[in-house]
Parts: sequence; structure tokens; C-alpha cells
Amino acid sequence: MTAPAASLFRTCRVTGRRIHIQAEWLVKANAVVAVVALLVGATAALLLALTRWQAVHLLPPEWYYRLLGVHGMNMLIFFIIYFEMAVLWFAGTVLLNARPAAPKLGWTNFGLMLAGSLLVEWTQWTGRADVMFTSYPPLKAHPVFYLGVILFAVGALLVVAQFFATILIAKREKTYSGSLPLVVYGAATAAIIAVITLLHGALIYIPTFLWSLGLIPSVDPQIYRMLWWALGHSSQQINVAAMVAIWYLLGGLTVGAAVLNEKVSRWAFVLYILFISLASAHHLLVDPGFSPAWKIVNTSYFMYMAVLASMVHGFTVPAGMELGMRLRGFTQGMFGWLRRAPWGDPGFSALILSIVVFGFFGGITGVTIGTEQINIVAHNTLRVPGHFHATVVSGTAMAFMGATYYLLPLIFRRKVAFWGLAKAQPWLFAIGLLLLETGMTFAGSFGIPRRHWDISFSQAPFDVAINPAVDLFMAMIGIGGIMAVTGALAFILIAVKSVFLGEAVTEIPRGTAMAGIPQGLTNPPVYPPNVDALNQELHAPGRGIAGATPGTLVLVGVFLLAFMVYYFTNWKLLSFLWKIG
Amino acid sequence: MAAPPNAPPHESAEPPPLGQRIFDNVLLLLALGTLIMFVVFTGWGMWEILTMPAATLP
Amino acid sequence: MLTKVHTGLDPVPGVWWKPAHKAEKVWVAIAFGWCMVLFAMMPLWHWKGGQNPSGVRRRVEPKAFYARTLAFANQYKVGEDRGLPIVAPPPGADIYLVGLTFQWYPILRLERGKEYMLHLSSLDVNHGFSLYPLNVNFQVVPGYDYGLRVTPTAAGDFRILCNEFCGIGHHTMVGRVIVVDEAGQPVADNEAARIRRGGAR
Repeated sequence: MTAPAASLFRTCRVTGRRIHIQAEWLVKANAVVAVVALLVGATAALLLALTRWQAVHLLPPEWYYRLLGVHGMNMLIFFIIYFEMAVLWFAGTVLLNARPAAPKLGWTNFGLMLAGSLLVEWTQWTGRADVMFTSYPPLKAHPVFYLGVILFAVGALLVVAQFFATILIAKREKTYSGSLPLVVYGAATAAIIAVITLLHGALIYIPTFLWSLGLIPSVDPQIYRMLWWALGHSSQQINVAAMVAIWYLLGGLTVGAAVLNEKVSRWAFVLYILFISLASAHHLLVDPGFSPAWKIVNTSYFMYMAVLASMVHGFTVPAGMELGMRLRGFTQGMFGWLRRAPWGDPGFSALILSIVVFGFFGGITGVTIGTEQINIVAHNTLRVPGHFHATVVSGTAMAFMGATYYLLPLIFRRKVAFWGLAKAQPWLFAIGLLLLETGMTFAGSFGIPRRHWDISFSQAPFDVAINPAVDLFMAMIGIGGIMAVTGALAFILIAVKSVFLGEAVTEIPRGTAMAGIPQGLTNPPVYPPNVDALNQELHAPGRGIAGATPGTLVLVGVFLLAFMVYYFTNWKLLSFLWKIG
Repeated sequence: MAAPPNAPPHESAEPPPLGQRIFDNVLLLLALGTLIMFVVFTGWGMWEILTMPAATLP
Repeated sequence: MLTKVHTGLDPVPGVWWKPAHKAEKVWVAIAFGWCMVLFAMMPLWHWKGGQNPSGVRRRVEPKAFYARTLAFANQYKVGEDRGLPIVAPPPGADIYLVGLTFQWYPILRLERGKEYMLHLSSLDVNHGFSLYPLNVNFQVVPGYDYGLRVTPTAAGDFRILCNEFCGIGHHTMVGRVIVVDEAGQPVADNEAARIRRGGAR
């Protein structure tokens, strides 16, 4: 084992961890570009929301459709994947005290991703790719659009490969003992799903690129949709795994969340690895290309095994927080641990908001509209974006924002600027999004289409009578959108100010609150010396079935009830429809 | 049977249970996840499309 | 023996493959049971329910499908509206609807309570068949004939929206489906379907 030169690492003065300096730069570079993409996407979002709000109807049609593609690319691909690259560099090195595999290649790959992003951005903004971010043939974009996506995807795939190499080398060099920490296991889950995603991306973008150059005669539209969604939805499952990994990370940092049972949590990640990508099929439930058998087996993540996994994490994440709090003395009643949790810490509030909205709104609507038959009333309506903003934005993006509040002092070594604003930011973002998502979901139930410029149908040959309630829902999209974008811009402002013009952090004195430093770092959660004995006690058979985490059991019970009510109500509503099939 | 009581657990002579070893094998999991996706979603899906009969347009 | 208390940031030495606590086992069992219910609902609805996206699915040449649709429209034409034929096929017939930029052709006039085999396809790009305001949605893919057995259960003068982006005229793509009840209401040329002369926006 080669001893690394001392100058390659620094020792974190807050956590004592050994941090590889090049890896840290890779984390920072990817995080900064992620925030730039977020800014582009958020600007587009505001203009789109003000257009769908029919009373405002800001953009002309050409620009609405164009910016919709820009919004999709920048948010669902660029922002989120750059941030996930940062997570991989962080999890593989900092959390394992390890060195990155071939850091110079890390920069080459970053450059590849950047080149690809800029090419895509150029084609979209100059109207050479007015095909939405899904780019379904026979709609055709300029070849450089597809080339840009390919370069980005290749760069990302190579970074994922470097992540695997990094964790294997760390194991061999024994920079940590035992099994990977659960957070790193979650990152590895995300990385595995990323491989599945990007392989399918290559399978579809390369022929489509050749077709756009005129080198092959056509791309079958149904095959394209199947392979594209294997890329498109699986990329969202990378987000789910990364988000859950961040939940465990933030839980540990903010309240000393304990891992209830490694086997249970890892089972949930393994079920994700094996089955979660199959549900890309829920985009194809009302497509002609596939049989009901294929649709049912795939949309169900194979008998809902990946949903089981989500329900497991939905329990173990809050239960871990409850246990961590109880072990540190917050034992009053059922929910004392929650009431007395550090709500003033934006890392904590973002964590809770992410879990609650992802679970209750995103998860429940997703499984429901992803049912083969219920999809008939939901496909391509606004219910679809209503669902996925609740998962990707209220869930993943929110979790990433929460993590940033810790990343800034620890990795960028800056205080969080505009601390008062930072504490409010997760709430502003979450509430705006809830309004937006509710507006979309209700409008969608009334049949309002997604990706559509004008529901007054003023240029259509036939009139379309719209229920007046829909105007209210579109206004909710507009106002919720304004609020959510304000929340996103607040986050960007805080991040940019902190990184580039912020106050440096050298030491973090323990014991007193400090503006700009979250409480998990000034008052880190510490277990008492007899914590293992306490843990045994909390798990003693005499405590009955509720065991160590009664509060969480109540919460997940409420969740399950909500799920059942929403799910069966939707079946009932479906039954009133015409007979089909 | 086990290592002496004071030995750190990871130096015990016994390997961890099979389940733990499988779960720890990230590359194995990568292979399984990829295989399942390519068979159940992609392979089966392609087969369905490619074997679809031509319309008779009755 | 439980593992030593630790957070998700800590590596885990030793054996962690240990049985779960009762509460966790119970939650997993309940969640598993719920997942089985979720899974069972789909085949169950195929068996007992009235709405399924299963149909007679075939590959087709877009131009051939279009030609068949024109022939079908000519065969059963009973009127015209805004340049589109109003077509009244007999119950039980194979009926054809084609999406093309930027219209739905033809206008179908169906009878409530009667079954038809509706064939959907596109002449050019992907379109989204969205029967409004009922909210019946299907993907219309060029090269594929989606044959769906359909029984309208309500009379009315419905619209077909396009909900898959198909180009700059996407939002102008609106079709019409009329379903008459036993008394022949609504009539095919009813006042409600008047032209909207909209402004540029």
C-alpha cells in the first residue's frame, strides 16, 4: 500500500476526517455547475409558470415550448446529475477517508460533461432542438443536440466508473474497516442505477444521432420511447437513491439519527438496485407497443418490490431520527423527539420537508397513476408533472439543498450567507411547490394537458369548454411557481454569496450557536457513554411492538391510511369512465 | 469458536454471513441489477415490438 | 446483541446481518401485504374491471392507415363540420381515427351503450389522444395501430385534445367526438361546436 503524500490530503478541523484535496475540488466544481444549471432551469420555470397561468400567458408559443425543453434538460439532467457527481466524489472519498481513483481523469470527465451541456444548451436556446427534452422521433433536432447529450452521458458514466474504482481501492487499502457506511451504500445504489440509465442512453442516443445526420433512415418511434424512458425514468431513480442516501446523511448530521438495522436498510437499497428501473414502463402504459403482461410486471417494479423498499426507508429514516433523539434524552411522550428537534436548522427542516412531501404527495400519486389502468385518466395530463415535481423537486432537490447547508461550511469552508433567509428558504420552496403541485394535480384531473401552450384553445377549430375551477388551479400553478422559484433563487443567492464572497470558516467552536453555521456542527449530536445499554433497553421485548420508535409507527400508519384512501378512490373514479379494452 | 473476546470483530476468523457478503459485493449487485433490467424490461419489450404482427386494417 | 449504535456516516465493522426488531418486521410485513394488494389490483381489473389499455396492437404503415381512415370516413359519412367529415359507423364496426399535424380526422358520431373497435394511429409524429372532458388518454404512435374496444357510456359533444407535443401547432389540435343517446341527442351540428375566432394569443 503506497503511503499518499501528506500534501494530497487535509484534515478537517471540524470532523477530523482526512479529505483528499483533489476530490474536494471535484465536489466543489460539480456543485457549482449544478447550481448554475439550477439557475437556468429556475428562470425558465418562472416564465413557464407565468405562461400556464392562463390569465398572464406570458410567453408566445414558440418560446413556451422551447423553454419547456430547456427547463427539463437543466433541471432533470444537468442540475441533478452534476449534484450527484458531487455526492459520488464526496461519498467515495470523504466518508471513507480515501483517495479518489485517477483524479486527473475526474477533471477530463467533468470537462466532457461540461462540453456536452454547453452544446445541448446552445442547440436548445437557438431553436435547433424544439423537440422537448424527450425528443421523440419522428420529431428531429439538430445533430449537435444529440451529440451534446452523448458527451454528457459518457462523462457521467466514466465518473460513475471512477466511483466504483474509488470504493474498491478504499476497501483494498483498508481506509475504513467493515462494510461501507450506509450513506455510501446509498450512493453506490445511485451509481449502479446510473450505469443502467446511461447504458440505455447510449443505446438510444447513438442511433438517433446517426439518424439526425442522415446516416440511418429512421428510428422506430415505439422502440425509441421504450429505450428513452429506460434512460429517462431510471435517471429519476438515481435521484431517489441519492435522496435517500442524503436523508441518512442529514439525519446523522442534524440529530444523530441512528441506523435501526443495517440489514433492513440495505435490503431496501438492494431492492432498488434489482427492480426500481423496471418502472420506466409507467410512461408506456397506454402505448400500443406492449402487452398488459409486460406493462403490469414492469410498472409494478416487479410486484411492487421497489415500493416496499421505499416504504422501508420511509420507516427507517424517521425511525432512525426518533431513535437518535431518544438515545440522547429526548424521550417525552410520542413526539417529544420531533417537537424538540432543531427546526431552526435549514438542513433539518429541508430533510423533514423532503421526506414528508416526497412520501405523501409524490410517492402516493406516483404509484397510483403508475397503475396500468388508472394511467388511462392521467397520461400526459398535468397530473404527471404534479406528481414528479413532488418527488424530484420537493423530494430530491430539497434534500440536496439541505445537504448544501452543511456542504458550505464543511467543504467550501464558508459560513452560510444570509442566515435568516437560509432558515426560511426550505419552507418558502416547499410551500410554493405544494401550491404548484396541487394546482397541477387538480387541473390534470379535469383533463388539462401537460406541455400545452393554450387551454383557451383560441386558435383551435372547435371550442373547448373548460370548467371555471380550472382557472383557479392554473393560478395556483402561477403563484406557487413564483413562490417556488423565489425559494430556488434564494438558495442560489445564498450558495453563490457563501462560496464566492462568503466569510471563511476555520474553527467551529462547540457549544454556542453561530449565525451561518448549522447546529449540527456547532452542537454536534453526541451519544451518551451508555448509549448501547440504552439502545438495548429501548429494544427490550417488554416494551412491546412499538419498541424504540412509537412515534414513527404512528406516522407511517397515517401514511399507509392516506395511501389506501387515495389509491382506492382513484379506482372508483376510473370505474365511471367509458368501457375500454 | 469465536476469536478471543477482546479481538475487534473484523479480525474474527469467521467470515460474515452469506447475505452480508452478497450485499457487500457492489459489482455483483451492479451485474444483477443490469441483468434484470435488460431481460425483464428491455429484452422482453424489444421482443414484443419486434414480434408484433402487421395490421390487417379490417 | 444489537450492533453498536452508529449513524449512516459510520462504517460498520463486524456482522450486521442480524434479525430485525419486532416493530420493523411488522412494518415490513404490512408493507409487503400492501404491495401484494397493489400488484393484484391490475390483473383483477383486467378480469373484472371495465377500463383496460389492452387492445389489438399491430404494426402499420402510416400512409396505409391514413388511407384506410379516409375510406372509412367516406363509407359512413353523414355530414360535415369545419371541413371534417362527420362519420356515423354502425355499432360493432372497426372505426378509424388518425392524428396528424394538426388535426384529428374524422369526427366520429357514435351511439351510447354500443361497442366499437377504435383504431388509433398517427400519420406523422407522436400525438396524445385525450378525450375531453372525460379524460381518456392514449399515446398515438406512428407505425402502430392501437385497436381498443370502446363503449361510450355517456352522450355528449366531446373534444379530442392532443396532449403529446407534436410541433408548433400542438395547441390548435382539437378534434370532436359526438355520442348520441337513444333520442339522437346531441345532434351532429349542434350550436355548441361553433368556431372560436380567437386573437393571435
